[in-house]
Amino acid sequence: MLELNPILVKDLRSRMRGARAYFLLTIYLLILAGVTLLLYAAISGDIGSDLNAGRRIGQALFFTIATVALIEVCLITPVLTSGSIAGEKERQTYDLLVASLLTPWQIVWGKLVSALAFALLLITAIVPVMSLAFLFGGVGLTEVLIAIVGLIVTAVLYATIGLFWSALLNSSLGATSFAIGTVIALLLGIPFLIVIASLILGSSAPSDLLDSAWFIYLSRFVAALHPFIALGATASQLSGGGNPFFEVVRTSATNVVVPSPWVLYTALSLLFSAALLAASVRLAQPVQPGADRQKRSRKVVEAES
Amino acid sequence: MTPIVETRDLTRRYGPNLALDHLNLTVPEGAIFGFIGPNGAGKTTTMRILTTLLPPTSGEARVAGVSVTREPRTVRRLVGFMPDFFGVYDNMKSWEYLDFFGRSYGIPAQRRQQLIGELLELVDLAHKRDEPVMSLSRGMKQRLSLARSMMHDPRLLILDEPASGLDPRARIELRELLKELRAMGKTIMISSHILTELAEMCTHIGIIERGKLLAAGEVQEILRTMRPHRIVEIRVVAGAARAEELLRTHPDVLELRREGARAGSDDEKAPLDDETGPHTLLADFAGDEHALGDLLALLIAEGVRISHFAEQSGDLEDIFLHVTKGIV
Repeated sequence: MLELNPILVKDLRSRMRGARAYFLLTIYLLILAGVTLLLYAAISGDIGSDLNAGRRIGQALFFTIATVALIEVCLITPVLTSGSIAGEKERQTYDLLVASLLTPWQIVWGKLVSALAFALLLITAIVPVMSLAFLFGGVGLTEVLIAIVGLIVTAVLYATIGLFWSALLNSSLGATSFAIGTVIALLLGIPFLIVIASLILGSSAPSDLLDSAWFIYLSRFVAALHPFIALGATASQLSGGGNPFFEVVRTSATNVVVPSPWVLYTALSLLFSAALLAASVRLAQPVQPGADRQKRSRKVVEAES
Repeated sequence: MTPIVETRDLTRRYGPNLALDHLNLTVPEGAIFGFIGPNGAGKTTTMRILTTLLPPTSGEARVAGVSVTREPRTVRRLVGFMPDFFGVYDNMKSWEYLDFFGRSYGIPAQRRQQLIGELLELVDLAHKRDEPVMSLSRGMKQRLSLARSMMHDPRLLILDEPASGLDPRARIELRELLKELRAMGKTIMISSHILTELAEMCTHIGIIERGKLLAAGEVQEILRTMRPHRIVEIRVVAGAARAEELLRTHPDVLELRREGARAGSDDEKAPLDDETGPHTLLADFAGDEHALGDLLALLIAEGVRISHFAEQSGDLEDIFLHVTKGIV
């Protein structure tokens, strides 16, 4: 019989044991439900009672829930993985894993999947809250599926960011700080760059540059690095009745077909996740070339003296 | 027969520091090999190379004839490693701890369950099977760690400072356990900077300092060859003054002391009185077995009555101090 990855079994066992996991899940859902309730209270009086009121409430609820869930996934998943490998190093169990027959790939993969399993539990738990939006209408299955894919892809990417730092550094506190730092840099840095670029280009760039195909691709590429921008742009594209998979950008010169932001975001995220995963596996090798080996060797000397 | 551990010119540098300097070490199968040296001598480095956790800078290390650099996975199957710390997982029971490492070594589920029971029994922790690992005492954790290193039935057990921080009882239990493991046919390589710890349980020792192997071999052999000279304990019932006179002038006796007397004190000079006896004399003897026999015959021929004439059993500590320079 094929056995499950030992790291996965061990980590799931200890992660799900005790009150911690349930506590985290409860807080996560409480925040989500609280925001939903507040939003409903705020907009239901405002919108009035015309025929479209239900639709608008449904849409507002759905987008708010999706946004809150996305924020939580962005912040929780890197923390779930950032302590994983660095934690083994801190507990001094890492050598035992490496000296066993586990491969670096098994170690990294087990850590990732156990964190993702928990992230998936969080994502699954919001489905009932999200389904409230269906009661009001205004939200289609396409939107819901894209939101769920977006959440899962984000969870994978941000988990691998945490995993990478965890494999690189020796302390889980350091790894968590760098993981959260990276997430904040991504989430705030990209919009900042876009604003700066649009300020500069908006005033001085010639229109044929802005209309050129490569500029359109480049701007879409940058926007697709950011989960909120990519998924938000997709939502507005869908509410405008656009195709869920691609859009046609009409310029004065020509029509440029670009993939829908969420498609681009999904593809890029998976690509970056794969790259980070490969880097983590390399870092998890017991014998490493270059600086890290020296660092670890020095630790041994210190341990001996 | 292939030795279980063999290193040839094993060298390891950490930047400018030379941690291991052309180490040539051989450990025969079935031995309890004590690796003695001061802190920072290179014991842990050697052990980490043998467990494939650290690559050598140059030279070669083999476990049961398998190169640690060329076939690390095969070596990992052969070696059980217990580091000088106990890695603890939160939220884990004793049996889960063993189960996890059993899985990590690819032991099938059914065999694993059986093994966990047997090993917990062996290390006397069967009653702690469902206890969280964190709640175990230090000695128990150490024994659990030993059980862990046995999960994949390795031929060689490498134990780095296993007795450090253990109370005397736990230390004795560990020693008994190691004897049991040896009886099971395991070769055990054990490091320590505490000599007495090793002297009691090892069949072979290696003394290392500043990355160099100063002496290695069977404990008895080392004791015999490395001691500069032997100390003979002679208990004299009658003729103590004559015995002392003979011994002082004997060419093979380098030094003579009276037991209980301080060297150089006044009472050392006054002749021994049989009335206050029997007296015990300690002679540093530089001659061989035959010369020792001749000495006894001489004393008896001279009318000295002896109730005890024996070589003091050697002490690893003397050897260690003699061999190492204490520069680390």
